[in-house]
Amino acid sequence: MKAVKFDPRTKIALLLFCILCTTFSGTLELQLILTFMIAVFGLLAGKYKYAVLGLVCYGVLWGTSQLILQSLTGIWQAMFAAFFALVHKVYPCGMMSGIMIGSTKISEFMVALYRLHMPRSIVIPFAVMMRYVPVVFEDWQYIKDAMKMRDVTPSIKGLFTNPSMTVECVYVPLMMAASKTADELSIASVARGIENPNPRSSLIEIHFCVQDWLAVFVFLAFFMTTLALRGGFI
Amino acid sequence: MSKQAGNATAKLNVKDLITTGIFSALLFLALLIGGIPFGINPVTTFYMPFGSALLGGPILLLLIAKVRKRGAVMIAGILSGIIFIAIGMHWAIGLGCALGGIIGDFIAGIGKFKNMKLNTLAYVLVSLGSTGTFICYFADPQSWNTYMLNGKTSEGYIQTMSANAQGWMLPVILIGTVLIACFSGFVGTKLLKKQFEKAGITA
Amino acid sequence: MIHFQNVSFRYDDNGDGAVRNLNFTVKKGECVLLTGRSGCGKTTLLRLANGLIPNYFSGNLEGKIIVDQMEVSETPLYQIAERVGTVFQNPRTQFFNVDTDSEIAFGMENKGMDSAYMKKRVIQTAEELKITNLLGRNIFSLSGGEKQKIAFASIYAMNPEIYLLDEPSSNLDVISIEALRQQLKLLKEQGKTILIAEHRLYYLKDLADRIFYLEEGEIKESYNCQDFLKLSDRQREEKGLRMMEYKNSSFCNQPQLFQKPVLEINDLSVGYKKQAVRSNINLAARGGEIIALLGQNGAGKSTFCRTLCGILKPLSGTFRRNGQVLTQKERRAKAYMVMQDVNYQLFAESVEKECGFGIKNPDENKICTTMHRLGLYPYRERHPNTLSGGQKQRTAVAVSMMCKKELLVFDEPTSGLDFDGMANVSKLMGDLAESGKIVFVVTHDYELITRICTRIIYFDACGQMEDALVSKKTLPDLMGFFPTQKDLFLS
Repeated sequence: MKAVKFDPRTKIALLLFCILCTTFSGTLELQLILTFMIAVFGLLAGKYKYAVLGLVCYGVLWGTSQLILQSLTGIWQAMFAAFFALVHKVYPCGMMSGIMIGSTKISEFMVALYRLHMPRSIVIPFAVMMRYVPVVFEDWQYIKDAMKMRDVTPSIKGLFTNPSMTVECVYVPLMMAASKTADELSIASVARGIENPNPRSSLIEIHFCVQDWLAVFVFLAFFMTTLALRGGFI
Repeated sequence: MSKQAGNATAKLNVKDLITTGIFSALLFLALLIGGIPFGINPVTTFYMPFGSALLGGPILLLLIAKVRKRGAVMIAGILSGIIFIAIGMHWAIGLGCALGGIIGDFIAGIGKFKNMKLNTLAYVLVSLGSTGTFICYFADPQSWNTYMLNGKTSEGYIQTMSANAQGWMLPVILIGTVLIACFSGFVGTKLLKKQFEKAGITA
Repeated sequence: MIHFQNVSFRYDDNGDGAVRNLNFTVKKGECVLLTGRSGCGKTTLLRLANGLIPNYFSGNLEGKIIVDQMEVSETPLYQIAERVGTVFQNPRTQFFNVDTDSEIAFGMENKGMDSAYMKKRVIQTAEELKITNLLGRNIFSLSGGEKQKIAFASIYAMNPEIYLLDEPSSNLDVISIEALRQQLKLLKEQGKTILIAEHRLYYLKDLADRIFYLEEGEIKESYNCQDFLKLSDRQREEKGLRMMEYKNSSFCNQPQLFQKPVLEINDLSVGYKKQAVRSNINLAARGGEIIALLGQNGAGKSTFCRTLCGILKPLSGTFRRNGQVLTQKERRAKAYMVMQDVNYQLFAESVEKECGFGIKNPDENKICTTMHRLGLYPYRERHPNTLSGGQKQRTAVAVSMMCKKELLVFDEPTSGLDFDGMANVSKLMGDLAESGKIVFVVTHDYELITRICTRIIYFDACGQMEDALVSKKTLPDLMGFFPTQKDLFLS
């Protein structure tokens, strides 16, 4: 099945609905339906493995939380309730964000944000942020290797046995590398005309199509239903 | 570029924006990675802001030292806030980080971005952002509980919660976060003096 | 096309790289090679030509620079970028996007070009540069050479008239340099003007029309290719320049081998998570040997090195030191790797402190003598980040000496170094070998290998390992390890 192309603004709108739904929604059953809808969207958008895995994990989580909440009482129930409340909020939104980031290119995002009239001072840092997060994990691998050779343990244990050394080992190379990358990336971007005041375009064209309207409608309907249920209208 | 560095009211250019983006990525990761060990464990989930505040100080302080203009802290706070909301954290965390960033930017600007104490204060404000959700909780525990469990709560549970939740928890969370953020800022200040300024990567 | 008139420039912080009295004209379609020692001003000259000076780097600028009929100091950078494309040295940090297609289109997107045109242009660029296999890939999964190709493609897609390249071959292996050479040939055929700053001169032998030799910010000499080749080796080395041809390489003397330590590797298999990258590795090495590790990307050199240093667990096989089996922890204690990017290994705020970092009760005298031996004593108070690449390497070596390491692995230590830098590295490795250490060096630097290496181990693409001594007698075998550079070997 070929992936359906969704406008990045649609994805942002859907994410917003997810956030609103999880904020206002009452029951765990509704959360399950929401996650199922997200998984379907993920399948359509082309993230097959991710969507299926995400749904299965959530199913397990859902079952576990029901079990635990019904068997505990008192202070333990309160603590686990708070914990699961967080998890059930984070999971659908996190999954949706993952689908969004995994199926959208940075340049698409940038154009979408510009079309939503976001200023350059938000769009550029945001794009750079998305691009840099994987780099941090790469850098961390090198730093771990270097620390091992110096007999400094790159772990929580090291934080306690020798705090100042571990702190320096972790922060100094990471920040130096970040600083150097900031300088070099700026030069490479500026030398390719990023300061051009004319509106930016994107390799992948973005415009609303049938699938976008449909997706927005479905999620909107779900959200309205949630509100209605909560308010006791249904 | 360097002519503008001393002028705190100068506009952010592309280099500043890219630097802000990179350090926002680091800041967000620090807030997240610090907070997750506390958040995952149901017993300590209320103390998540402690973990979040622990690691980010040096990052924000170095960002200020590199950019030294109005707007960098604000953008870092807003972006972190947006991403927190996007991954499903309570909206109050996102709003808190954004507000913390905006106010923090203003405060750091008072000292022309060179006053370490004010810069640390800016970081404290951003860290307090992650306490937003707990402020909401303590402001209205009843609706929080119903919202979470939707009618499956037991009388005893609500009473236990109310009994425990009032009074000492919120101030503890707030004061603790402030202290830990100050400590992180302190570590950042020392790292700046000891290493980053000597290394020549500050503006 | 490019016209410099009485141009002088000094950076605000009075750092290295200032230039003086630059007066020259580069005609359309010419390819000019800029060379000279590190810090001679090559990069500054390029920055003056593409407008980074004065629009991005501030300082004291005099004189006039006209590029493609634009007055550089009065034209905004993004307009210059449409006609002048710059390819930088470090492929890792040049990318704005995460996927290759978008990166190639990046410059065009900045201009706001139409989507249909960009799609066509991206495919056309990929076909002309022969990189269609790199389309639609995640940048983080590319090798260094592939990243450089995408960076080049990103500029090519914008179709500028002038190309500026700053040491583009620095981080590339032999095959990738050959690909770069082909790409530059294509540009020349299209009549583009090229300015290229380089240390590695050999691959530009047939491409450079003129060669500018810079010294301390001034263009001291201007050669055409034939005159340059007529320079004697001594004249070339005095100027601090690398070889353009590989004839008459000087070979090092026979190594003095030590009785101890002896490293034996038996039936080693290395890889990640039960996936073997390389198997059946058998070799023995003694103190005093300097062993070059050759092989293409993906052949398993870095996996082998990481296993050797105890960072990675071997999938099978044993390491023996002086007859006794080494555990991973013991290997880590005895081995040390100087990484390609040394910055990840330097943690302290001064060279002196770095030497004592991580050591309980470091011996102050030992630190002093070590710093003296490596010529670091004048820099002992400096932050490692402010040192040059070569000095950072020496700091890392100082650390290894303080930690009493017996085995050292250097990962591409001479990429981006000029002749003096390379000579210093070879002397450094020679001294280490003389004091009884076992030295491995991952490299494809022919000059370095003939100058100081005693042995070559070659990981070929089929999983076979070749082991050869380096000497004049084995020169024909050596040529086999540098297949794309056969025409550079004149007898």
